[in-house]
Amino acid sequence: MMQIEPLVLISLIIPWVGALAVWLIGDNYSKIQHLLAVIFSVIAAVASIMMLWVYKSGTILSFPVGNAFGDFTFTTDGLGIYLSIIATVIGALAIIFSVDYMRGSDQLGRYYSFVLLFIGAMEGLVLTSNLFLMFSFWEITALCSYALISFYNDDPKAVAGGMKALIMTQVGGVGLLLSAVLVYAFSGSFDINLFLSNSALFPKNVLIWMAYGMLIAAAAKSAQFPFQTWLPDAMEAPSPISALIHAATMVNGGVYLLARFYPAFKEIPGWTLSVMLVGMLSALMAAIMALVANDLKRVLAYSTVSQLGYMVYAVGAGGILASQFHLLSHSFFKALLFLAAGAIIHSVGTRDMREMGSLGKEMPFVRFIFLIGAFALAGVPIFNGFWSKELILEAGLSHGNPLWIYIIMLFVAGLTALYTTRCVWMVFYGDREKELHIHPVGKNMKFSLSFLGAGVATTWLLIAPFSEMMRKSLPIHAIETLSLQLMVREVVFAPATWIALAVIGLGIMTWFGRDSLDRIQKAYQPIAFVAEKSFGFERINKFIIETTNSAGESLRDLQTGKINWNVFYILIALIIVFALLGTGA
Amino acid sequence: MGYVIVLIGILFCAFMAVREKRLIASAIWLAGTSAFVAIMMYLLGAYQIAVIELSVGAGLVTVLFVFAINIAGDEPIPNLSFIPKQLAIFFVLLALLIIGWQVIPLLNIPIQFHQDIGFQQMVWGNRKVDLYLQIAMIFTGVVSMLRLLTDEYQTRISQKEIHE
Amino acid sequence: MNLSPAMIVFLAVIGLFGIGLYCLLITRNLIRVVIALQIMVKGAMLALIFTGQLNSQPSLGQSMALTVIVADTILAVIGLALAVQVKRHVGSLDLKDLSSLKR
Repeated sequence: MMQIEPLVLISLIIPWVGALAVWLIGDNYSKIQHLLAVIFSVIAAVASIMMLWVYKSGTILSFPVGNAFGDFTFTTDGLGIYLSIIATVIGALAIIFSVDYMRGSDQLGRYYSFVLLFIGAMEGLVLTSNLFLMFSFWEITALCSYALISFYNDDPKAVAGGMKALIMTQVGGVGLLLSAVLVYAFSGSFDINLFLSNSALFPKNVLIWMAYGMLIAAAAKSAQFPFQTWLPDAMEAPSPISALIHAATMVNGGVYLLARFYPAFKEIPGWTLSVMLVGMLSALMAAIMALVANDLKRVLAYSTVSQLGYMVYAVGAGGILASQFHLLSHSFFKALLFLAAGAIIHSVGTRDMREMGSLGKEMPFVRFIFLIGAFALAGVPIFNGFWSKELILEAGLSHGNPLWIYIIMLFVAGLTALYTTRCVWMVFYGDREKELHIHPVGKNMKFSLSFLGAGVATTWLLIAPFSEMMRKSLPIHAIETLSLQLMVREVVFAPATWIALAVIGLGIMTWFGRDSLDRIQKAYQPIAFVAEKSFGFERINKFIIETTNSAGESLRDLQTGKINWNVFYILIALIIVFALLGTGA
Repeated sequence: MGYVIVLIGILFCAFMAVREKRLIASAIWLAGTSAFVAIMMYLLGAYQIAVIELSVGAGLVTVLFVFAINIAGDEPIPNLSFIPKQLAIFFVLLALLIIGWQVIPLLNIPIQFHQDIGFQQMVWGNRKVDLYLQIAMIFTGVVSMLRLLTDEYQTRISQKEIHE
Repeated sequence: MNLSPAMIVFLAVIGLFGIGLYCLLITRNLIRVVIALQIMVKGAMLALIFTGQLNSQPSLGQSMALTVIVADTILAVIGLALAVQVKRHVGSLDLKDLSSLKR
């Protein structure tokens, strides 16, 4: 029988070996680069899936590295395995998609090696139980995200988007570092499971700092309020990257962090309420902004922020199983939508939805796949989005959570249906004004899309083994098993579901009856105007960037470019530091 | 007594390495400094490190310098430095004085030869992070050398093609 | 000021450090910069071993000095390779010709 240790090592190290191999082969052999990247990512995906069968509890791997940083440990539990499967499988599919999407572009070595580096780092992030190692992997994923967003580095918009993403996620990283340092200072070890089982022994104010630090880190990484402006600008990246990093894996890192540390922080006063508020605000604001956006990928980006808001809300409300299940469904259908959008943009050549229209006739396969993803996003029954969203809304009603937040989330579900229908209508139906030249969709793209489509239609059937594994492997989180019949019965027969379905149906109908709802549309205009300016957050960002730039300009005179002067300044700083130390500071 | 001789040797060789106008002579004085530092390490009881420092510092690094100076050429460069010499001497002496003033009261302990875990056990047992770090550094150095050399190789090939 | 062996070793450390720093501030030749760095690093190595001895943990100081030797060798290798490449592409090793920052 297969042991789990080599599987963990394979799924961690193979992507990194692949990154090195693809880079060293050189850009002259692009066919070999494509092939190598696909092979390495598929091996990692298969190793990840095989971990499900040979699952073993407790710490799996442990590398002692002296006593400075504790041992580098890796555990495979329910939270970690599912995210690692998502990261590698969707990574493999995105790489297969890139074979067609990036055909003929130069600097493929840089692209593939960063994607593979990212997959390996994401694996490490979810499988490790050493907080310091988790922080290192967190920062590596931020680096890869920056490098891939500004992949087309001749385009100033792409570079600006990459810098913004990097700066905002680094701010979040500070929160995580603070928590890691506090854990080490108070308990002498970086081990996460040790911290979770003994979290009651920590002094109260330390736990408060850690809890809010982690919330800031998670909010920055998952583009939640108030950090939500970097994700729409990150859409300058190639579409497979948007599918992999900004829909399925990296932005889920924040939700994963909150879910993992939930049992330690749930007693902190005000923490669960803050988490629910952050989730609700992100969901609401992003849904409104998605309603007025005209760029296809921006709509999907806002919808990602909104769905992540749902997951964050679920964690705050106490439904860890619901949030992780929605994470699984969301990764599949959002990656599907992004890849399909990539296929559309690649074929048609433009990203503006106002120039598209009635593409359904020329691209029937893409329309079919996109519809599957859109139904799952809107929460239409049978597809996996419906089941997981209902579980989240149910978790919101239980555990004594405030009712007004639940009502707003219900309203956002209706808004989700509305903007999804709008998006589908503007792209595939409706009238087209301009003449467009349409390329056919490649074979590899169709393969990835069909695989994801099948996943979207069926992953909800896995609820029983999913919840069973989470209950067995996460004793501290106290998750209950949910079998398939139980879930179907609960969801289908709960009155909350019917209300939600009615709201969703209302959302869909509102789009089709928009001509007769003139007055509501006119009342909506001022909100639309504010939403397009993204509620004033862009102005704050612009102000921060401008201040930083002008401060940098005024300090430029100190940089002469000659080594001697730089060393001289270092010497002066050394003298100042020693003088301060000497006078007893 | 041996300590004083080695001290004078170190300072003299380092000073000559700085003052010497020709680069190759500087490299030879650097090798001399390495040798004296190795003797000092031996007197302090670090036997293995002294051997390593002797072979690396006085051997490998000197050979590298000689190669590089031969390839790059030894043209004289005007001696006028960007920072006035008196300013530099003043600040360096100030830094050394401040450091010395802090540290000298702590030096009342005589040098004894303690026995603890031992060099081998420490390097391969407790400080494994350092070993991984060294491997990563060597790997980085090798990869960047490969990059530098292949760039050189390709520009030379393209230049040869232009000539033909 | 008694000339105990500890004092002599300390004088060697700060002497090396000071001479290396002075050379780094004064020189205009790129290869001499590498020489100055090598001198400073020897001072650092000596300091590590010396303090290890003083705190009765000699093997810790020695293992750190080992890492420093590796680091400074790699530094010399890459620094000299870069100096050779600079000479080939720019044509001179003088620091004045190398700084191309716009003022």
